[in-house]
Amino acid sequence: MSQRTEATQRPPARGRGAGYLGGIWDVVVLELKQRLRSRGWYIMLGIWFILTGLVTWLTWAAWNAQREAQRSYSTFTAPETGPGSMIFEVVLAFVLLFALLVAPALSANAVNGDRAGGTLAILQVTLLRPGQILWGKFFAAWAAALAFLVASTPFLIIGVALGGMTPGHVVVALLMLAVEVGVVSAIGVGISALAGRPLFSIVVTYLAVAGLVFGSLIAFGLGTGLSQRTIMANQAQYRSYSPYEPLEEQPAPMEPEYTCSGPLREQPAVHTDRVAWMLAMNPYVVVADAIPYPVRTSNAFGMSSPVGAIESISQGARYAMAGPDGTYPCANGEAKPRYLAQSTPLWPLGLGLQLLLAGLLMWLGWRSLRTPARRLARGTRIA
Amino acid sequence: MGLPARPGGPGADGITATAVSRSFGQVHAVEHMDFRAPAGKVTALIGPNGAGKTTLLLMLASLLAPDSGTITVEGLDPRRHRAEVRRRIGWMPDTLGVWESLTAREILTQIARFYQLPKAGMAQRVAEMLDRVRLSDLADQPARVLSRGQQQRLSLARALIHDPSVLLLDEPASGLDPGSRVELRVMLRQLAAEGKAIVVSSHVLSELDEIADAAVFVNRGRTIRHQTTDEAAAAGRRYAISATDGAALAAKLTELGLTFRVEDGRRAAVSLMLMNDDDAARLLRDLVLAGVPVRSFAPASGALEETYMNLEGERR
Repeated sequence: MSQRTEATQRPPARGRGAGYLGGIWDVVVLELKQRLRSRGWYIMLGIWFILTGLVTWLTWAAWNAQREAQRSYSTFTAPETGPGSMIFEVVLAFVLLFALLVAPALSANAVNGDRAGGTLAILQVTLLRPGQILWGKFFAAWAAALAFLVASTPFLIIGVALGGMTPGHVVVALLMLAVEVGVVSAIGVGISALAGRPLFSIVVTYLAVAGLVFGSLIAFGLGTGLSQRTIMANQAQYRSYSPYEPLEEQPAPMEPEYTCSGPLREQPAVHTDRVAWMLAMNPYVVVADAIPYPVRTSNAFGMSSPVGAIESISQGARYAMAGPDGTYPCANGEAKPRYLAQSTPLWPLGLGLQLLLAGLLMWLGWRSLRTPARRLARGTRIA
Repeated sequence: MGLPARPGGPGADGITATAVSRSFGQVHAVEHMDFRAPAGKVTALIGPNGAGKTTLLLMLASLLAPDSGTITVEGLDPRRHRAEVRRRIGWMPDTLGVWESLTAREILTQIARFYQLPKAGMAQRVAEMLDRVRLSDLADQPARVLSRGQQQRLSLARALIHDPSVLLLDEPASGLDPGSRVELRVMLRQLAAEGKAIVVSSHVLSELDEIADAAVFVNRGRTIRHQTTDEAAAAGRRYAISATDGAALAAKLTELGLTFRVEDGRRAAVSLMLMNDDDAARLLRDLVLAGVPVRSFAPASGALEETYMNLEGERR
């Protein structure tokens, strides 16, 4: 009896907030202990490491082979940029792809797996609050998924070490990958609290990820078709330039290469800015857009296209976001900055929408974990 | 028990459910059920499968909210005094639910942390509980290597780790070997003697005669009868009698004017209701004196089982 009276009369040693965090930590410890003892997790981690290494090596080999081929077929030598950018981009894209594939598997059975195993009610009957259980499960799933990112860090660093990139790129890329994995983990945990069966919630989470990756592109594509409007613009007068001028002496693309004149007329244009938010939700767009790249206006070679995939994705998305008002030649009688100068980032919008989705699912999940429970999902037993 | 002034006044000890109802969609799992388990007593919850026992226990454990009706734990409302009620309740579910890769000691330590027990005495408390359910030797084995009965005992230790004053046990004896059953019985009597209110749902009715002070019979989501074990015993008991000469036995019983039933067990036997032990002694003497070759003469069932079977009969 002494134990109980001690427990009831004990004044809260920690503050309310610290006690809440302490409960979350206890759940995280419980979850991670189980994960660290399952052999499957290590096997997956090993496979992941080998695969990422393989992709890195193949990219490097492919780049080398391509350069050899170029040397033997033409005397023209491409500017030596090194394989850094390409390796970095391929590895980054690959790591993001696999992180998006692994995170649902690690998170989407967190709650209903316990429910099926009969261990959820055991947590619920203790002093733990539903939020502590849910946050604990989320942080544990996130940490488990982050281990995969850590395993792929060496290869991202190799990408940088081979030239062309700064350590800042790796830091930002890893940070954004971590955030994206967190978003997917939160979606998975939220769905697992809502769905009755682990299999169902895992499939739904994969579909949600597919929705973010492919659905956002499809929705954007279909959405642009529905946003045909008109815009007031006048005539663009392009400067003529001599095709015989040497490449180096072409006008720098800093200034608009046209002038606007004449009366404003209604011209058909696609208001991509109205549907760009769908594109912004794409994890690839968020990661690519967040990674910094230099403004190319002062490019010595006068290249008018972005360098590498990351920049292309980012510029494409920013172009869509700017819409015709910002990109259509001579919209409202103003000359617009060139393609590459779109500098308003859209990853905060995309990430914000992703966090909104994840937060909504977590909130719904929290509601379903409250006890005494009023409503139960169809076919679920609480114990 | 050294508690600060308990809200709810007298009679507020133990756990009480008043007119609780709970339905799942179209299924009325529990309808206006009344239940009371006083402190210091073992109360059995008896009913056929699907009678609403587990649903009632879930509501008593404050996991499930009743659609209507009230539940009080030592006078406290689970909805308003969530943490206080949780500290007072120990719940052992009918599903085992162990974290298989954790050891027994780790599981109990985790649960102790979830109950926010003081960190200082935690390891000792865990060791004490492991000792109490005889799992000290297996304390550092992963739970997956434990047998069903051992996991059941671990589950009991988990329900007891925070020293609750109300103990809710859903089928605690299932999967236990006979020795462990006896131990469970002894332990539950000890816990009741310490002043805890203990609720046991079980199908093994003959065991409950020995453990329970009272029984609540439920069926189809309703409380059918509340009966103490003594009352049950007083209501009469069925005896089974067999004799090497079945015809002689039947003739003598008919002569005595007793109604009996021919049982179709492995050995030919008859059974009949007797009000008390004196009646039984008298009948046995009469049969032996009459030269009936009695082979066995014993209660056919436990007292609570008798009530249960009668209720089953009424149901049909």
